[in-house]
Amino acid sequence: MSQTVFQIEHLKKYYEINLGLFKKPKIIKAVDDISFDVRKGEILSLVGESGCGKSTTAKLILKIEDPTDGAILFEGKNIMEFSAKELAEYRTKVQIIFQDPYSSLNPRWKVGKIIGEPLVLNSDMTPEQIKERVLYLMDRVGMRPEWYDRYPHQFSGGQRQRIGIARALALKPEVIICDEPVSALDVSIQAQVLNLLLDLQEEFDLTYIFISHDLSVVNHISDRIVVMYYGHIVEMKSAEELFNNPEHEYTRKLLSAIPVIKAAS
Amino acid sequence: MNLIEVKHLKTYFYSDEGVNKAVEDVSFEIPQGKTVCIVGESGSGKSITAMSIMQLIDYPGKIVGGEILLEGRNLLELSDAQMRKVRGREISMIFQEPMTSLNPSYTVGYQIDEALRLHHKHLNKKQRHAKVIEAMELVGIPDPAEKYHEYPFKLSGGQRQRVMIAIAMACEPKLLIADEPTTALDVTIQAQVLDLMKKLQDETGTSILFITHDLGVVYQIADEVVVMYRGHIVEKASAKELFDDPRHPYTRALLNSIPKPGITPRKSRLETVDDSVDYLAFPKEIR
Repeated sequence: MSQTVFQIEHLKKYYEINLGLFKKPKIIKAVDDISFDVRKGEILSLVGESGCGKSTTAKLILKIEDPTDGAILFEGKNIMEFSAKELAEYRTKVQIIFQDPYSSLNPRWKVGKIIGEPLVLNSDMTPEQIKERVLYLMDRVGMRPEWYDRYPHQFSGGQRQRIGIARALALKPEVIICDEPVSALDVSIQAQVLNLLLDLQEEFDLTYIFISHDLSVVNHISDRIVVMYYGHIVEMKSAEELFNNPEHEYTRKLLSAIPVIKAAS
Repeated sequence: MNLIEVKHLKTYFYSDEGVNKAVEDVSFEIPQGKTVCIVGESGSGKSITAMSIMQLIDYPGKIVGGEILLEGRNLLELSDAQMRKVRGREISMIFQEPMTSLNPSYTVGYQIDEALRLHHKHLNKKQRHAKVIEAMELVGIPDPAEKYHEYPFKLSGGQRQRVMIAIAMACEPKLLIADEPTTALDVTIQAQVLDLMKKLQDETGTSILFITHDLGVVYQIADEVVVMYRGHIVEKASAKELFDDPRHPYTRALLNSIPKPGITPRKSRLETVDDSVDYLAFPKEIR
Protein backbone atom coordinates (compact mmCIF):
# COMPACT_ATOMS: atom_id res chain seq x y z
CA MET A 1 0.00 0.00 0.00
CA SER A 2 1.31 3.37 -0.90
CA GLN A 3 1.48 6.20 1.55
CA THR A 4 -1.54 8.42 2.11
CA VAL A 5 -0.96 12.13 1.57
CA PHE A 6 -4.43 13.46 2.26
CA GLN A 7 -7.29 12.04 4.24
CA ILE A 8 -10.51 13.94 3.78
CA GLU A 9 -13.02 13.03 6.45
CA HIS A 10 -16.70 13.99 6.41
CA LEU A 11 -15.88 17.34 4.88
CA LYS A 12 -18.73 19.86 4.71
CA LYS A 13 -18.94 23.39 3.43
CA TYR A 14 -22.21 25.29 3.65
CA TYR A 15 -22.77 28.81 2.42
CA GLU A 16 -25.51 31.04 3.76
CA ILE A 17 -27.27 33.30 1.34
CA ASN A 18 -29.23 36.19 2.78
CA LEU A 19 -32.45 36.60 0.87
CA GLY A 20 -33.54 39.74 2.69
CA LEU A 21 -33.97 41.27 6.09
CA PHE A 22 -37.03 39.31 7.14
CA LYS A 23 -36.38 36.09 5.32
CA LYS A 24 -34.56 33.08 6.64
CA PRO A 25 -31.13 32.75 5.03
CA LYS A 26 -30.93 29.98 2.47
CA ILE A 27 -28.24 27.37 3.04
CA ILE A 28 -26.31 26.08 0.05
CA LYS A 29 -24.60 22.78 0.73
CA ALA A 30 -21.67 23.13 -1.67
CA VAL A 31 -19.83 20.18 -0.20
CA ASP A 32 -21.88 17.83 1.90
CA ASP A 33 -20.14 15.11 3.89
CA ILE A 34 -17.47 13.83 1.54
CA SER A 35 -14.62 11.48 2.51
CA PHE A 36 -11.74 10.27 0.37
CA ASP A 37 -8.00 9.84 0.53
CA VAL A 38 -5.20 10.82 -1.80
CA ARG A 39 -2.22 8.48 -2.08
CA LYS A 40 1.33 9.51 -2.75
CA GLY A 41 2.28 9.63 -6.43
CA GLU A 42 -1.19 9.13 -7.82
CA ILE A 43 -3.41 11.25 -10.02
CA LEU A 44 -6.77 11.52 -8.35
CA SER A 45 -9.48 13.28 -10.32
CA LEU A 46 -12.57 15.06 -9.10
CA VAL A 47 -15.20 15.20 -11.84
CA GLY A 48 -18.66 16.61 -12.04
CA GLU A 49 -20.63 19.44 -13.59
CA SER A 50 -20.48 23.09 -12.63
CA GLY A 51 -21.82 23.57 -9.14
CA CYS A 52 -21.10 20.02 -7.97
CA GLY A 53 -18.57 21.20 -5.37
CA LYS A 54 -15.32 20.10 -6.96
CA SER A 55 -13.68 23.53 -6.89
CA THR A 56 -14.98 24.19 -3.39
CA THR A 57 -13.23 20.99 -2.31
CA ALA A 58 -10.01 22.31 -3.85
CA LYS A 59 -10.38 25.60 -1.99
CA LEU A 60 -10.88 23.76 1.29
CA ILE A 61 -7.80 21.61 0.70
CA LEU A 62 -5.74 24.72 -0.07
CA LYS A 63 -7.17 26.30 3.08
CA ILE A 64 -8.40 29.30 1.14
CA GLU A 65 -11.71 28.64 2.86
CA ASP A 66 -12.49 26.91 6.13
CA PRO A 67 -14.84 23.95 6.22
CA THR A 68 -18.17 24.04 8.06
CA ASP A 69 -17.41 20.62 9.48
CA GLY A 70 -15.07 17.68 8.94
CA ALA A 71 -11.32 17.32 8.74
CA ILE A 72 -8.55 17.41 6.18
CA LEU A 73 -5.50 15.47 7.28
CA PHE A 74 -2.22 16.18 5.47
CA GLU A 75 0.35 13.51 6.21
CA GLY A 76 -1.66 12.57 9.28
CA LYS A 77 -2.13 16.07 10.69
CA ASN A 78 -5.29 18.17 10.59
CA ILE A 79 -4.63 21.29 8.53
CA MET A 80 -7.05 23.25 10.70
CA GLU A 81 -4.73 22.77 13.68
CA PHE A 82 -1.55 23.86 11.94
CA SER A 83 0.62 26.47 13.63
CA ALA A 84 1.56 29.51 11.55
CA LYS A 85 4.92 27.92 10.75
CA GLU A 86 3.38 24.61 9.77
CA LEU A 87 0.83 26.38 7.61
CA ALA A 88 3.54 28.32 5.78
CA GLU A 89 5.33 25.07 5.11
CA TYR A 90 2.07 23.41 4.02
CA ARG A 91 1.48 26.17 1.52
CA THR A 92 4.84 25.47 -0.13
CA LYS A 93 4.09 21.77 -0.36
CA VAL A 94 0.66 22.11 -1.95
CA GLN A 95 0.39 24.23 -5.07
CA ILE A 96 -2.33 24.99 -7.60
CA ILE A 97 -2.57 25.46 -11.35
CA PHE A 98 -5.56 27.51 -12.42
CA GLN A 99 -7.99 27.10 -15.27
CA ASP A 100 -7.68 30.48 -16.89
CA PRO A 101 -4.15 31.28 -18.01
CA TYR A 102 -5.31 34.78 -18.99
CA SER A 103 -6.49 36.13 -15.67
CA SER A 104 -4.23 34.20 -13.31
CA LEU A 105 -0.96 35.89 -14.33
CA ASN A 106 -0.07 39.48 -13.44
CA PRO A 107 0.03 41.35 -16.77
CA ARG A 108 2.56 43.90 -15.48
CA TRP A 109 5.14 41.35 -14.45
CA LYS A 110 7.71 39.66 -16.64
CA VAL A 111 7.75 35.88 -16.86
CA GLY A 112 10.92 35.59 -14.78
CA LYS A 113 9.40 37.55 -11.92
CA ILE A 114 6.12 35.61 -12.03
CA ILE A 115 7.86 32.24 -11.82
CA GLY A 116 10.43 33.45 -9.27
CA GLU A 117 8.00 35.15 -6.88
CA PRO A 118 7.31 32.08 -4.71
CA LEU A 119 11.09 31.71 -4.25
CA VAL A 120 11.52 35.35 -3.24
CA LEU A 121 8.81 34.98 -0.62
CA ASN A 122 9.54 31.52 0.71
CA SER A 123 13.26 30.86 0.39
CA ASP A 124 16.54 32.54 1.34
CA MET A 125 18.00 32.13 -2.11
CA THR A 126 20.02 34.97 -3.62
CA PRO A 127 18.65 36.70 -6.75
CA GLU A 128 21.25 34.87 -8.85
CA GLN A 129 20.20 31.50 -7.45
CA ILE A 130 16.57 32.36 -8.06
CA LYS A 131 17.25 33.30 -11.66
CA GLU A 132 19.11 30.06 -12.16
CA ARG A 133 16.22 28.05 -10.70
CA VAL A 134 13.65 29.96 -12.79
CA LEU A 135 15.60 29.24 -15.97
CA TYR A 136 15.81 25.59 -14.97
CA LEU A 137 12.03 25.47 -14.42
CA MET A 138 11.39 27.21 -17.73
CA ASP A 139 13.50 24.57 -19.42
CA ARG A 140 11.57 21.78 -17.69
CA VAL A 141 8.20 23.10 -18.90
CA GLY A 142 9.46 23.64 -22.43
CA MET A 143 10.00 27.41 -22.49
CA ARG A 144 12.98 29.11 -24.09
CA PRO A 145 15.42 31.01 -21.81
CA GLU A 146 15.05 34.19 -23.88
CA TRP A 147 11.40 34.40 -22.82
CA TYR A 148 12.55 35.30 -19.27
CA ASP A 149 12.06 39.02 -19.95
CA ARG A 150 8.75 38.84 -21.77
CA TYR A 151 5.29 39.75 -20.52
CA PRO A 152 2.34 37.30 -20.30
CA HIS A 153 0.43 39.03 -23.11
CA GLN A 154 3.16 38.00 -25.54
CA PHE A 155 2.24 34.36 -25.10
CA SER A 156 -0.55 32.08 -26.30
CA GLY A 157 -2.89 30.29 -23.89
CA GLY A 158 -0.83 27.08 -23.90
CA GLN A 159 2.42 28.95 -23.21
CA ARG A 160 0.79 30.88 -20.38
CA GLN A 161 -0.37 27.64 -18.84
CA ARG A 162 3.30 26.56 -18.93
CA ILE A 163 4.20 29.71 -16.97
CA GLY A 164 1.59 28.78 -14.35
CA ILE A 165 2.96 25.25 -14.16
CA ALA A 166 6.58 26.46 -13.76
CA ARG A 167 5.47 28.79 -10.97
CA ALA A 168 3.64 25.96 -9.21
CA LEU A 169 6.79 23.84 -9.40
CA ALA A 170 9.10 26.55 -8.05
CA LEU A 171 8.96 25.47 -4.41
CA LYS A 172 9.34 21.75 -5.08
CA PRO A 173 5.80 20.89 -4.01
CA GLU A 174 4.56 17.42 -3.19
CA VAL A 175 1.00 17.93 -4.33
CA ILE A 176 -0.34 20.03 -7.19
CA ILE A 177 -4.02 20.76 -7.49
CA CYS A 178 -4.84 21.19 -11.16
CA ASP A 179 -8.13 23.08 -11.44
CA GLU A 180 -9.37 22.51 -15.00
CA PRO A 181 -5.87 23.19 -16.39
CA VAL A 182 -6.72 22.36 -20.00
CA SER A 183 -10.38 23.40 -20.33
CA ALA A 184 -9.55 26.79 -21.83
CA LEU A 185 -7.14 25.37 -24.41
CA ASP A 186 -7.42 24.08 -27.98
CA VAL A 187 -7.34 20.29 -28.31
CA SER A 188 -3.82 20.10 -29.72
CA ILE A 189 -2.49 22.46 -27.02
CA GLN A 190 -4.48 20.49 -24.48
CA ALA A 191 -2.56 17.36 -25.55
CA GLN A 192 0.76 19.20 -25.13
CA VAL A 193 -0.12 20.37 -21.61
CA LEU A 194 -1.39 16.91 -20.58
CA ASN A 195 1.85 15.34 -21.87
CA LEU A 196 3.84 17.91 -19.91
CA LEU A 197 1.89 17.27 -16.70
CA LEU A 198 2.46 13.51 -17.06
CA ASP A 199 6.20 14.00 -17.72
CA LEU A 200 6.61 16.33 -14.75
CA GLN A 201 4.76 13.96 -12.47
CA GLU A 202 7.24 11.19 -13.24
CA GLU A 203 10.25 13.46 -13.06
CA PHE A 204 9.43 15.16 -9.77
CA ASP A 205 7.42 12.36 -8.13
CA LEU A 206 4.33 14.55 -7.77
CA THR A 207 0.83 13.82 -6.59
CA TYR A 208 -1.96 15.49 -8.57
CA ILE A 209 -5.49 16.30 -7.58
CA PHE A 210 -6.99 16.91 -10.99
CA ILE A 211 -10.27 18.76 -11.30
CA SER A 212 -12.15 18.53 -14.57
CA HIS A 213 -15.50 18.15 -16.21
CA ASP A 214 -14.00 16.44 -19.27
CA LEU A 215 -14.28 12.70 -18.76
CA SER A 216 -12.15 11.65 -21.71
CA VAL A 217 -9.25 13.73 -20.35
CA VAL A 218 -9.86 12.44 -16.83
CA ASN A 219 -9.98 8.84 -18.00
CA HIS A 220 -6.71 9.31 -19.83
CA ILE A 221 -4.61 10.64 -16.98
CA SER A 222 -6.19 9.41 -13.73
CA ASP A 223 -5.40 6.53 -11.45
CA ARG A 224 -8.58 7.00 -9.47
CA ILE A 225 -11.68 9.07 -10.11
CA VAL A 226 -14.12 10.66 -7.67
CA VAL A 227 -17.45 11.59 -9.26
CA MET A 228 -19.28 14.42 -7.49
CA TYR A 229 -22.89 15.43 -7.85
CA TYR A 230 -24.60 18.24 -5.90
CA GLY A 231 -21.98 18.24 -3.14
CA HIS A 232 -21.91 14.49 -2.67
CA ILE A 233 -19.57 11.77 -3.88
CA VAL A 234 -21.64 9.40 -5.97
CA GLU A 235 -18.88 7.10 -7.15
CA MET A 236 -15.18 6.58 -6.38
CA LYS A 237 -13.04 3.93 -8.03
CA SER A 238 -10.09 3.33 -10.35
CA ALA A 239 -10.30 4.94 -13.76
CA GLU A 240 -10.45 1.56 -15.44
CA GLU A 241 -13.28 0.26 -13.27
CA LEU A 242 -15.25 3.46 -13.63
CA PHE A 243 -15.17 3.28 -17.40
CA ASN A 244 -15.81 -0.44 -17.67
CA ASN A 245 -18.39 -0.64 -14.96
CA PRO A 246 -20.04 2.66 -14.02
CA GLU A 247 -22.55 1.99 -11.28
CA HIS A 248 -24.21 5.25 -10.46
CA GLU A 249 -26.84 6.59 -12.84
CA TYR A 250 -25.21 10.02 -12.96
CA THR A 251 -21.83 8.51 -13.92
CA ARG A 252 -23.50 6.59 -16.73
CA LYS A 253 -25.18 9.74 -17.95
CA LEU A 254 -21.83 11.57 -17.94
CA LEU A 255 -20.12 8.71 -19.76
CA SER A 256 -22.78 8.48 -22.43
CA ALA A 257 -22.29 12.18 -23.11
CA ILE A 258 -18.68 11.58 -24.21
CA PRO A 259 -18.51 11.60 -27.96
CA VAL A 260 -16.80 8.49 -29.28
CA ILE A 261 -14.22 9.00 -31.97
CA LYS A 262 -12.30 6.25 -33.65
CA ALA A 263 -8.52 6.44 -33.68
CA ALA A 264 -6.89 7.94 -36.73
CA SER A 265 -4.02 5.85 -37.96
CA MET B 1 -29.60 21.31 -53.52
CA ASN B 2 -27.18 23.81 -52.06
CA LEU B 3 -28.63 26.59 -49.96
CA ILE B 4 -25.34 28.43 -49.64
CA GLU B 5 -22.30 28.38 -51.85
CA VAL B 6 -19.19 30.12 -50.63
CA LYS B 7 -16.74 30.64 -53.46
CA HIS B 8 -13.12 31.74 -53.06
CA LEU B 9 -13.91 33.85 -50.02
CA LYS B 10 -11.10 36.10 -48.83
CA THR B 11 -11.32 38.17 -45.66
CA TYR B 12 -8.27 40.18 -44.66
CA PHE B 13 -7.44 42.28 -41.63
CA TYR B 14 -5.26 45.32 -42.17
CA SER B 15 -2.90 46.74 -39.56
CA ASP B 16 0.31 48.76 -39.40
CA GLU B 17 2.21 45.52 -39.23
CA GLY B 18 0.79 44.25 -42.49
CA VAL B 19 -2.09 42.21 -43.81
CA ASN B 20 -3.48 39.28 -41.87
CA LYS B 21 -5.12 36.87 -44.29
CA ALA B 22 -7.66 35.49 -41.84
CA VAL B 23 -9.66 33.71 -44.53
CA GLU B 24 -7.80 32.84 -47.72
CA ASP B 25 -9.60 31.38 -50.73
CA VAL B 26 -12.23 29.38 -48.86
CA SER B 27 -14.90 27.53 -50.85
CA PHE B 28 -17.60 25.21 -49.56
CA GLU B 29 -21.31 24.50 -49.89
CA ILE B 30 -24.10 24.11 -47.38
CA PRO B 31 -26.75 21.71 -48.72
CA GLN B 32 -30.43 22.25 -47.94
CA GLY B 33 -31.39 20.79 -44.55
CA LYS B 34 -27.88 19.56 -43.73
CA THR B 35 -25.34 20.42 -41.06
CA VAL B 36 -21.89 21.57 -42.11
CA CYS B 37 -19.21 21.85 -39.41
CA ILE B 38 -16.20 24.09 -39.70
CA VAL B 39 -13.59 22.75 -37.32
CA GLY B 40 -10.28 24.33 -36.46
CA GLU B 41 -8.23 25.79 -33.64
CA SER B 42 -8.28 29.37 -32.41
CA GLY B 43 -7.00 31.62 -35.14
CA SER B 44 -7.86 29.21 -37.95
CA GLY B 45 -10.42 31.61 -39.44
CA LYS B 46 -13.52 29.53 -38.70
CA SER B 47 -15.40 32.30 -36.89
CA ILE B 48 -14.30 34.92 -39.42
CA THR B 49 -15.76 32.72 -42.17
CA ALA B 50 -19.10 32.65 -40.34
CA MET B 51 -18.98 36.38 -39.68
CA SER B 52 -18.21 36.97 -43.36
CA ILE B 53 -21.39 35.13 -44.36
CA MET B 54 -23.34 37.41 -42.00
CA GLN B 55 -21.24 40.36 -43.20
CA LEU B 56 -20.45 41.34 -39.66
CA ILE B 57 -16.79 42.06 -40.39
CA ASP B 58 -15.78 45.41 -38.96
CA TYR B 59 -12.87 47.71 -39.71
CA PRO B 60 -9.93 46.91 -39.96
CA GLY B 61 -11.28 43.71 -41.48
CA LYS B 62 -12.63 43.53 -45.01
CA ILE B 63 -14.06 40.93 -47.35
CA VAL B 64 -11.74 41.41 -50.31
CA GLY B 65 -12.85 38.70 -52.68
CA GLY B 66 -15.14 35.83 -53.52
CA GLU B 67 -18.86 35.23 -53.60
CA ILE B 68 -21.40 34.11 -51.04
CA LEU B 69 -24.45 32.78 -52.85
CA LEU B 70 -27.71 32.31 -50.94
CA GLU B 71 -30.00 30.39 -53.30
CA GLY B 72 -28.02 31.85 -56.18
CA ARG B 73 -28.14 35.47 -54.92
CA ASN B 74 -24.72 36.97 -54.13
CA LEU B 75 -24.96 38.42 -50.63
CA LEU B 76 -21.82 40.48 -51.14
CA GLU B 77 -23.61 42.58 -53.75
CA LEU B 78 -26.55 43.50 -51.52
CA SER B 79 -26.93 46.96 -50.02
CA ASP B 80 -26.73 47.38 -46.25
CA ALA B 81 -30.50 47.71 -46.04
CA GLN B 82 -31.06 44.57 -48.06
CA MET B 83 -28.50 42.69 -45.97
CA ARG B 84 -30.26 43.74 -42.74
CA LYS B 85 -33.36 41.94 -44.02
CA VAL B 86 -31.34 38.80 -44.65
CA ARG B 87 -29.86 38.80 -41.16
CA GLY B 88 -32.25 37.43 -38.60
CA ARG B 89 -34.85 36.39 -41.15
CA GLU B 90 -33.02 34.24 -43.68
CA ILE B 91 -29.78 33.69 -41.80
CA SER B 92 -29.57 33.88 -38.04
CA MET B 93 -26.79 33.23 -35.63
CA ILE B 94 -26.21 31.94 -32.10
CA PHE B 95 -23.09 32.59 -30.12
CA GLN B 96 -20.85 30.83 -27.65
CA GLU B 97 -21.59 32.84 -24.55
CA PRO B 98 -25.17 32.35 -23.41
CA MET B 99 -24.32 34.36 -20.29
CA THR B 100 -23.47 37.58 -22.10
CA SER B 101 -25.38 37.50 -25.38
CA LEU B 102 -28.79 38.13 -23.84
CA ASN B 103 -29.75 41.60 -22.67
CA PRO B 104 -30.01 41.45 -18.87
CA SER B 105 -32.59 44.24 -18.64
CA TYR B 106 -35.30 42.78 -20.86
CA THR B 107 -37.46 39.74 -20.26
CA VAL B 108 -36.80 36.56 -22.19
CA GLY B 109 -40.12 36.78 -24.02
CA TYR B 110 -39.48 40.37 -25.10
CA GLN B 111 -36.15 39.38 -26.58
CA ILE B 112 -37.57 36.46 -28.56
CA ASP B 113 -40.41 38.74 -29.69
CA GLU B 114 -37.92 41.32 -30.96
CA ALA B 115 -36.96 39.24 -34.00
CA LEU B 116 -40.64 38.90 -34.93
CA ARG B 117 -41.32 42.62 -34.39
CA LEU B 118 -38.56 43.48 -36.82
CA HIS B 119 -39.11 40.89 -39.49
CA HIS B 120 -42.80 39.96 -39.33
CA LYS B 121 -44.49 43.34 -39.22
CA HIS B 122 -47.79 41.93 -40.44
CA LEU B 123 -48.32 40.04 -37.18
CA ASN B 124 -50.20 41.70 -34.33
CA LYS B 125 -49.22 41.53 -30.68
CA LYS B 126 -51.40 38.54 -29.88
CA GLN B 127 -50.18 36.52 -32.84
CA ARG B 128 -46.58 37.33 -31.95
CA HIS B 129 -47.12 36.28 -28.35
CA ALA B 130 -48.49 32.95 -29.51
CA LYS B 131 -45.51 32.50 -31.83
CA VAL B 132 -43.04 33.28 -29.03
CA ILE B 133 -44.68 30.72 -26.76
CA GLU B 134 -44.56 28.23 -29.62
CA ALA B 135 -40.85 28.90 -30.17
CA MET B 136 -40.16 28.48 -26.45
CA GLU B 137 -42.05 25.18 -26.43
CA LEU B 138 -40.12 24.06 -29.49
CA VAL B 139 -36.75 24.52 -27.78
CA GLY B 140 -37.96 22.78 -24.63
CA ILE B 141 -38.28 25.61 -22.12
CA PRO B 142 -40.64 24.40 -19.40
CA ASP B 143 -43.66 26.64 -18.50
CA PRO B 144 -43.17 29.02 -21.45
CA ALA B 145 -46.08 31.26 -20.45
CA GLU B 146 -44.43 31.89 -17.10
CA LYS B 147 -40.83 32.03 -18.36
CA TYR B 148 -41.90 34.67 -20.92
CA HIS B 149 -41.78 37.25 -18.15
CA GLU B 150 -38.52 36.10 -16.55
CA TYR B 151 -35.19 37.91 -16.85
CA PRO B 152 -32.13 36.06 -18.20
CA PHE B 153 -30.29 35.97 -14.85
CA LYS B 154 -32.88 33.56 -13.50
CA LEU B 155 -32.06 30.95 -16.14
CA SER B 156 -29.23 28.42 -16.19
CA GLY B 157 -26.63 28.32 -18.97
CA GLY B 158 -28.44 25.55 -20.84
CA GLN B 159 -31.76 27.40 -20.56
CA ARG B 160 -30.21 30.61 -21.86
CA GLN B 161 -28.74 28.81 -24.84
CA ARG B 162 -32.23 27.43 -25.51
CA VAL B 163 -33.55 31.00 -25.42
CA MET B 164 -30.82 32.05 -27.88
CA ILE B 165 -31.87 29.22 -30.19
CA ALA B 166 -35.52 30.25 -29.82
CA ILE B 167 -34.59 33.82 -30.86
CA ALA B 168 -32.61 32.51 -33.82
CA MET B 169 -35.38 30.13 -34.89
CA ALA B 170 -38.29 32.54 -34.33
CA CYS B 171 -38.30 33.72 -37.95
CA GLU B 172 -37.72 30.24 -39.33
CA PRO B 173 -34.41 31.06 -41.00
CA LYS B 174 -33.06 29.12 -43.95
CA LEU B 175 -29.64 28.98 -42.35
CA LEU B 176 -28.69 28.89 -38.69
CA ILE B 177 -25.07 29.73 -37.94
CA ALA B 178 -23.97 28.38 -34.57
CA ASP B 179 -20.60 29.63 -33.36
CA GLU B 180 -19.40 27.27 -30.59
CA PRO B 181 -22.87 27.18 -29.02
CA THR B 182 -22.08 24.40 -26.55
CA THR B 183 -18.50 25.20 -25.56
CA ALA B 184 -19.49 26.97 -22.35
CA LEU B 185 -21.91 24.23 -21.28
CA ASP B 186 -21.54 21.09 -19.18
CA VAL B 187 -21.30 17.84 -21.15
CA THR B 188 -24.76 16.54 -20.31
CA ILE B 189 -26.31 19.92 -21.15
CA GLN B 190 -24.23 20.02 -24.32
CA ALA B 191 -25.72 16.68 -25.38
CA GLN B 192 -29.23 18.09 -24.78
CA VAL B 193 -28.55 21.23 -26.84
CA LEU B 194 -27.09 19.20 -29.73
CA ASP B 195 -30.12 16.89 -29.67
CA LEU B 196 -32.37 19.93 -29.71
CA MET B 197 -30.62 21.38 -32.75
CA LYS B 198 -30.94 18.09 -34.62
CA LYS B 199 -34.62 17.85 -33.70
CA LEU B 200 -35.29 21.41 -34.89
CA GLN B 201 -33.52 20.67 -38.13
CA ASP B 202 -35.67 17.60 -38.75
CA GLU B 203 -38.83 19.60 -38.05
CA THR B 204 -38.05 22.81 -39.93
CA GLY B 205 -35.54 21.76 -42.59
CA THR B 206 -33.12 24.52 -41.62
CA SER B 207 -29.53 24.20 -42.75
CA ILE B 208 -26.94 24.59 -40.00
CA LEU B 209 -23.40 25.94 -40.19
CA PHE B 210 -21.76 24.80 -36.99
CA ILE B 211 -18.44 26.30 -35.89
CA THR B 212 -16.48 24.36 -33.30
CA HIS B 213 -13.02 23.30 -32.17
CA ASP B 214 -14.39 20.14 -30.57
CA LEU B 215 -14.12 17.08 -32.83
CA GLY B 216 -16.38 15.15 -30.49
CA VAL B 217 -19.19 17.60 -31.22
CA VAL B 218 -18.45 17.37 -34.94
CA TYR B 219 -18.83 13.61 -34.71
CA GLN B 220 -22.25 13.98 -33.14
CA ILE B 221 -23.80 16.61 -35.35
CA ALA B 222 -22.07 17.01 -38.74
CA ASP B 223 -23.12 15.79 -42.17
CA GLU B 224 -20.23 17.53 -43.90
CA VAL B 225 -16.97 18.71 -42.33
CA VAL B 226 -14.60 21.50 -43.34
CA VAL B 227 -11.23 21.50 -41.55
CA MET B 228 -9.57 24.92 -41.42
CA TYR B 229 -5.96 25.72 -40.60
CA ARG B 230 -4.46 29.23 -40.66
CA GLY B 231 -7.16 30.64 -42.93
CA HIS B 232 -7.17 27.79 -45.41
CA ILE B 233 -9.34 24.73 -45.88
CA VAL B 234 -7.04 21.72 -45.57
CA GLU B 235 -9.66 18.99 -45.74
CA LYS B 236 -13.29 18.73 -46.75
CA ALA B 237 -15.28 15.51 -46.57
CA SER B 238 -18.48 13.96 -45.32
CA ALA B 239 -18.38 13.28 -41.58
CA LYS B 240 -18.25 9.55 -42.14
CA GLU B 241 -15.34 9.80 -44.59
CA LEU B 242 -13.46 12.17 -42.34
CA PHE B 243 -13.64 10.03 -39.22
CA ASP B 244 -13.16 6.69 -41.02
CA ASP B 245 -10.34 7.85 -43.21
CA PRO B 246 -8.79 11.21 -42.30
CA ARG B 247 -6.33 12.05 -45.04
CA HIS B 248 -4.68 15.39 -44.33
CA PRO B 249 -1.77 15.25 -41.84
CA TYR B 250 -3.27 18.17 -39.89
CA THR B 251 -6.65 16.44 -39.53
CA ARG B 252 -4.89 13.30 -38.34
CA ALA B 253 -2.79 15.19 -35.82
CA LEU B 254 -5.92 16.90 -34.53
CA LEU B 255 -7.78 13.59 -34.17
CA ASN B 256 -4.83 11.93 -32.48
CA SER B 257 -4.43 14.70 -29.93
CA ILE B 258 -7.71 13.71 -28.25
CA PRO B 259 -7.54 10.86 -25.74
CA LYS B 260 -10.05 8.19 -26.76
CA PRO B 261 -11.40 6.12 -23.88
CA GLY B 262 -10.77 2.43 -24.44
CA ILE B 263 -8.41 3.03 -27.38
CA THR B 264 -5.65 5.40 -26.27
CA PRO B 265 -3.57 3.65 -23.57
CA ARG B 266 -4.00 5.42 -20.24
CA LYS B 267 -1.21 7.91 -19.42
CA SER B 268 0.43 7.44 -22.82
CA ARG B 269 1.78 10.65 -24.32
CA LEU B 270 -0.63 12.10 -26.87
CA GLU B 271 0.32 13.08 -30.38
CA THR B 272 0.26 16.84 -30.86
CA VAL B 273 -0.01 19.26 -33.73
CA ASP B 274 3.64 19.91 -34.55
CA ASP B 275 4.39 23.64 -34.66
CA SER B 276 7.47 23.06 -36.79
CA VAL B 277 5.50 21.36 -39.59
CA ASP B 278 4.05 23.53 -42.34
CA TYR B 279 0.74 21.73 -42.80
CA LEU B 280 -0.19 24.01 -45.68
CA ALA B 281 2.59 22.45 -47.75
CA PHE B 282 0.60 19.21 -47.99
CA PRO B 283 -2.00 18.91 -50.76
CA LYS B 284 -5.56 19.82 -49.77
CA GLU B 285 -7.89 16.88 -49.36
CA ILE B 286 -11.20 17.90 -50.89
CA ARG B 287 -13.75 15.13 -51.23
